[in-house]
Amino acid sequence: MNHFVPSLPTLLLVGLFAVLYLVFLVRKTMRGLLDLYDLLMLSMVALAPALFVFFPGVSDWVAQVTGVAFPFVVMFGMLFVIVFLIVHRLTVKLHRLESVNRRLVQEISILIESVEQDRRSR
Amino acid sequence: MTAFVDLDAPAAEPDTGAASSRILLILPCFNEAAAVGPLLMEIAHLRAGFETVVIDDGSTDNTYEVARTMSRCVRLVHNLGIGGAVQTGTRFARDNGYDFCVQIDGDGQHPPAEVMKLLQAYRQGKANVVIGSRYLTSLTFRSTLARRMGSRIIGAALRLFFGGTRISDPTSGLRLFDRAAIEFFAARYPHDYPEPISIAWALRSGLTIKEVPVRMRAREHGVSSIAGLRTMSYMVRVLSYIVLARLQTPVRPRAVVTEEYLSS
Repeated sequence: MNHFVPSLPTLLLVGLFAVLYLVFLVRKTMRGLLDLYDLLMLSMVALAPALFVFFPGVSDWVAQVTGVAFPFVVMFGMLFVIVFLIVHRLTVKLHRLESVNRRLVQEISILIESVEQDRRSR
Repeated sequence: MTAFVDLDAPAAEPDTGAASSRILLILPCFNEAAAVGPLLMEIAHLRAGFETVVIDDGSTDNTYEVARTMSRCVRLVHNLGIGGAVQTGTRFARDNGYDFCVQIDGDGQHPPAEVMKLLQAYRQGKANVVIGSRYLTSLTFRSTLARRMGSRIIGAALRLFFGGTRISDPTSGLRLFDRAAIEFFAARYPHDYPEPISIAWALRSGLTIKEVPVRMRAREHGVSSIAGLRTMSYMVRVLSYIVLARLQTPVRPRAVVTEEYLSS
């Protein structure tokens, strides 16, 4: 098993990214631009690498449990799952919004026509 | 203004109680300023009592300005594509209590006089959807070989997945909907490849469909969006949607039938 020991620059880089990105997400959430689910999902993109870098033993343990030969792959695998979940959620959300948007366009357009029809017939 | 069409005209035909039916022609249009005026004029000259609604799908030319002087016209505030436009028309028909609506292309490919054949076919044997087929007659312009082949394959797929119904022209945009079909399609209508997929949805949900031969004209304005390599992509997607429609849980249409409205 390859034991991954991160260097100091790696620790600093990943730690800095995690902190900055989390601050960015929290500020967006406070301004109402993201909801709680978005905050939790996206914060995983910052927290997951930090978890593996600051606690290298985690990747060894997960690799052992899941039977993955290279612990290094575990981190990318987990990030892939997180990104997949985010994309899945966005796709569902987008589809729903598309339906609502289409319906609104139809209803508003019919309503405008009815109002104009009423105005003309008066 | 409400106009009525007497569907009881020929005494030899079986009486469906279809007197004084309100019939709406839905004309979905996108940049059809040149075609929509003559088409509306042709409909008016029929003196058949049809009401019309033009659904302007966010045209950038003056389709709306031309259409609104001759017909009711819903201008979609955002382009929705042909599926969204037709669904808007069925919603309009539902909200305004029409007994039948007929989808007719705004580019002038469908002679309005052919609508009478759809109504006649409905009277002869009711079906929720009556499709005007260009492949059941030799009196129409000849479609390309690729198109005819495509229609055959889609028709075969529909028959394979939904049983006995034989549809020779699943991509035809000349179609009559009765009350049940209006209710059904007002609530849900496919937005990708709407003509063949709407047939699949309708069949899956137990609506009945029949075809009648109609004459169609060659397109005078604009070009078809399905050509070249897009034809292959179109076929693959349509067939995938048909399989998906078969797998989906059927949505039972509301128990609304045109008869109820016509006999009241």
